[in-house]
Order: sequence, then structure tokens, then C-alpha cells
Amino acid sequence: MAVSATKTQVDWRAIQRRHHFNQFIGKLVLTLVSLAVVGLFVFPIFYWFRLSITPYRYVFSLPPRLDFPEVTLAWWRVILGQASYQDTMREQTGTALAAGVGGGGTLGYAMIQPIANSLFYGLTSTAIVIIVATIAAYGLSRFNPRGKQNLVFFIISTRFMPAAAVVLPLSWLYQQLGLTSTYFGVMMAHVVINLPLATLLLKSFFDDIPTDLDEAAMVDGCTRFGAFWRIIIRYVAPGIAAAAVLCMIFSWNEFILTLYLSRLPEMQTVPIRMQSYDTSAGPTEWGLLSAAGTAALIPVFLFILSAQRYLIRGLTLGAVRG
Amino acid sequence: MARPSIALTPLSRQAEVTAKRRRGFFSANNPWLWVAPAVVILLMYSVFPLIFNILVSFQHFRASSKTWEWVGFRNYEWMLFGNPLVGDFGSAIVITAVYTIIALGAQLTLGLFIALLLDARPWLGNIMQTFMILPMVTAPVIAGLIFRLLQHSDFGVISWLLYGVGALTKEEPLLGGTGQYALFALLIVEIWQWTPFFVLIILAGLKSLPHEIIEAAMVDGASWFQRLTRIKIPMLFGVLTVGILFRLIELYKTFDYIMVMTSGGPGGRTTTISFYQYTITFQNIRWGYGAAIGVFIMVVGWLSAFAYIKIFRVKW
Repeated sequence: MAVSATKTQVDWRAIQRRHHFNQFIGKLVLTLVSLAVVGLFVFPIFYWFRLSITPYRYVFSLPPRLDFPEVTLAWWRVILGQASYQDTMREQTGTALAAGVGGGGTLGYAMIQPIANSLFYGLTSTAIVIIVATIAAYGLSRFNPRGKQNLVFFIISTRFMPAAAVVLPLSWLYQQLGLTSTYFGVMMAHVVINLPLATLLLKSFFDDIPTDLDEAAMVDGCTRFGAFWRIIIRYVAPGIAAAAVLCMIFSWNEFILTLYLSRLPEMQTVPIRMQSYDTSAGPTEWGLLSAAGTAALIPVFLFILSAQRYLIRGLTLGAVRG
Repeated sequence: MARPSIALTPLSRQAEVTAKRRRGFFSANNPWLWVAPAVVILLMYSVFPLIFNILVSFQHFRASSKTWEWVGFRNYEWMLFGNPLVGDFGSAIVITAVYTIIALGAQLTLGLFIALLLDARPWLGNIMQTFMILPMVTAPVIAGLIFRLLQHSDFGVISWLLYGVGALTKEEPLLGGTGQYALFALLIVEIWQWTPFFVLIILAGLKSLPHEIIEAAMVDGASWFQRLTRIKIPMLFGVLTVGILFRLIELYKTFDYIMVMTSGGPGGRTTTISFYQYTITFQNIRWGYGAAIGVFIMVVGWLSAFAYIKIFRVKW
């Protein structure tokens, strides 16, 4: 009797081990496939970065190499203004270049000034956007006037405008107001681009705070503005920080409005300087271009780490809570 | 008998005073006052350009004498029935439509696929999700430059791969040549940069799905595929409509990549409406005609977005 029982007994341990093993293999395959797919998306940026620290003679090697046969900071030195374009190119290509050849031309390849400009536009416009948008978002979140949905749609609709159709009217307006090629004018353009995003994103953060809190504050003697300023704004502080980071990033990436509202080379932002390099760049200058591009990407990448949770919420103007 | 030193107004009177203060225009309880600064700034950017474009679209600017001339509906006639200028509005619309549909389809499919991968919790999933964000925050101009290099006909990696598998020849590369594949080259950048948007938005949607329903389906014996198509995708509908709306808006405005990579060429094969409007306005200095196209884009964009929001009940 006892013998037959042991014969039919199932080896649960073995089944469990096999199950765990299958799970492990499944997870491994899943991870490898995911890594491959995500790797495809990261590859262009990695390749670009690799190029910026690769000497000239490895730049165009095919089949493409992904290792670092030799690291050079020559391109970065030009970008940071510590070496001259002419010397570096002579040193790297081994041929003498005629004066003025290449996209650097009159502007040189130093990126310090465009980066400083981009930072200036980003910081000032973000400050204004955050002040205006926080106030508007509170109003949109706490009151329910007639036509509120239309107002929200109006704010969203400013996103539908193709920038090219706005450039001519705005440059006419700026000419009338004497704002063409002024820092203030460009900054205001950046404010306008980010305002819908910041307003609706912040509205979604305000919506998360119960209105009881406002009412409690007002019962305790706060005015409406006091309730907003002393109480509610403290609760949405993380949201405000996230909105500010996103505004910085979109201001940093803005291209066409800045291009047409500021004609002076010393007012150019990073994307515009990059594009101006490219239009006249010879085939030899990819090392410099990639160093400049990487220099422009690094701050954005560092920034987004702090706000990545809210990126989707910002891009969909608060409609999808990421 | 000492009386209280404060003259007490009757409670009813006090309520009246507060109510009046609440109702006054310049009170903190007036919602319009809160939104006024934002609205004023946005008006300058949206309604003013629309009015300006409408006024200019009925005129012709003579660049030689710098004078404006009233031409009635001629600019709109050009737009609808062809015009003597370079490029063609009709073909720009077709190119924009093709670009938008292919890009959106590819981004949605790829996005769903990658989101499902990451949602199945691979190791390092969170880090991979962070890395997926990088393309999205890369400046479009720099993305265009990166892919110009990768698609370069002589030493680009993507070109090299495509030559290797025999999909392309050096005579007819991605960029350059007759421009047969130039739109495809732009689409590669577009798909690279914005697929992550759908990945993240679908991941957010998947995370917010109620577990009970999916578990109930599992108990009832629904297969993985049934759970995906019968439960997950229908429940992602709300998130997807919002995502598609925002991609559509950006797609028909596509400009930066074209500016950096192809300048609308070769032979107008990558001229979308947005770039067409730009060429007319700034290269041909046909301000009136450009403004007419601007009005067209704005009005059609507004109406279709409005219809989309109403039909799919997108809520804010």
C-alpha cells in the first residue's frame, strides 16, 4: 500500500524548479529583446557622442565601429573656445585649410555664447511662464465660469498653429513695437510657446488638491488670494518644479520663431547656431558638429531625469496622468 | 453700562458686504482675472496672427516698390486651382497626409509593442524606460543632424546597412539622388524621435488599468492575446485618443527636420504644407499668398482638432 503511494507521488520540487527555470528563461529572453529594441533608440545618440571624442581618421570608418579606438578632446576644445578651428582641422586632417573654409566661418565653432543665450532665454522665459501660468491654472482649476471649456480649448488651440504661419505677423508686430532682434522679444516668443503647456499641466496639479483646503483656509480668515498663495501653492510645488523643467527643455529646443525674430549672430541660440554650421559645413566637420550637439544635449538629459515622471503629463497638456 | 466699543453691524448686513466684495469685478473671486494675463499673451500669439494673416491674404506685396495692392480672392484661387509659383499646394497636402499617416501608424504600432515589452517587467526595465525618453527631449534640429550623418550616402550607418541588405543602391540613396526616398529618410527621424511618446503614454495607461478586470479575464481563461485585444487595448482608448491628437498636431506642423535635412527637396518631394508656406513667404516673398495658406492651415487645423475633441470626447 505504502509503496504504491510513493510511486504516484509527484515530485513537486522538480516541477517547481522547472517552472522557475522556465520563468528565468522567459525573463531573460524578454530582457534581451527589450534591450535590443531600446538599444536601437539609444544608438543614434550614442553614435553621435562617440563621434565627438573620436579622431578624424576614425570618423568615417565603415563598417561602423562602436568601440573607442582612440579618444581625443580636440573637437571639444574648439567648442569650448580653447583651441582654434584652423589649428584643430590642420592637426586632424593633416591638410592646410584655406582661411574661412567651413561652417565655422566668421562665427567660429565656440558654443559658449549660444549656450549662454539659450540659458538666458530659458531661465527668464520660464520664470515668466511659471508666474503667469500658476495664477491662470489656479483660476481654471478653482472656478467654474460659463465657457470654461471653451477657454481651455482656446489655450490648447494655440498649439495648433504652425510656427511658420505665425512668424510673419509676429515679425511685423515686433517691427512696430521695436522688438526685432532684442533679447526681450525673443524671450516673449519663448514665453508664448510654453504658456499653454505650463498652464494646463499646472491646472492638472491643482485639480489634484481638494478644494476643501481652500475653503478651510478661507474659513480661518485667509482671503482667496491668501489661500492660493499661503496654502495651495505649497502643495503644488513639485508640479511647479516639473513644469519649469519642461519649459526649460522646450525653450532650449525651440527653433523657428527664434530664428526669425533674432537676426543678430550674437543672439543665436544653440539649435540655430547648429543649423547655421550645417548649412555650410563640409564633409570634414562632423567631429565638431557632434561635439557641439552633444554639448547641447547633455544639460537637457540631466534636466529631464528630475522631471521624467511628468513628461507625458506635460506633453499631453495634463490630459494623461503619467 | 459699558457697551462694546465696536459698532456691530447686523449679521445680515455683514453678509451683504461680503457678498458684494465677492461679486465685484476686481475681486479675487473673479475667475477671469486669474486667467487674464495668460489669455492676453496667448491672444497676441494666436488671434492676432490669424487676423493679420486674413487681412494680408487679400493683398499682394510688391517687393520691388514695397507697396501693398488689394487683390481680392486671387491668393485663395491660386491655392485651390494652382498657381504660377514654384511648388504645388496640392502636392504639399498629399505629402503631408502621407507623412502623417505613415508616421502615426508606425509610431502607434512600435509604441504599443515596446510598451508591452516594458510592461512585462524585464530586468532593468526602469532604466530602459528612462533611456526611451532621450530621443523625445533631443532638439529636432540636432535629431535632424544626427540622422543626416547616419543616412549620409557615403559613410552613414543606416545607408550602409540598407546597401548591405540590398534595399538601396548608391545611385539612389536615402538623401540626395532624385529624392525618391527622401520622405522615408524624414520618416525615420520622426519615428525615432516620437515613438517613445507612445511607449510612455501606453505604459502610463497600462499601469492605470484596474488589475481586477485583467485577473478576472485570466481566471475565465482568456489567452494573452485575448486579454490584449479585448481588454487592454479597448481600455487604453482614452489615453490613445489624447496621444494621437497631440501627434497629429505636431505631425502636420513638421518643419525642423525638413529645414535641416532636405530643405523641402529634392524637387519638392519633401515639401509639407508647413514648409511650403515657409518657402512661399520667406524665399519667394509672396506674403499675400503665404498668408492665405497660413489662414487655411490655421482654420482647418482648428476645425479638425475641435471636431476630434468633440467626437472622441477628450476631456481636460
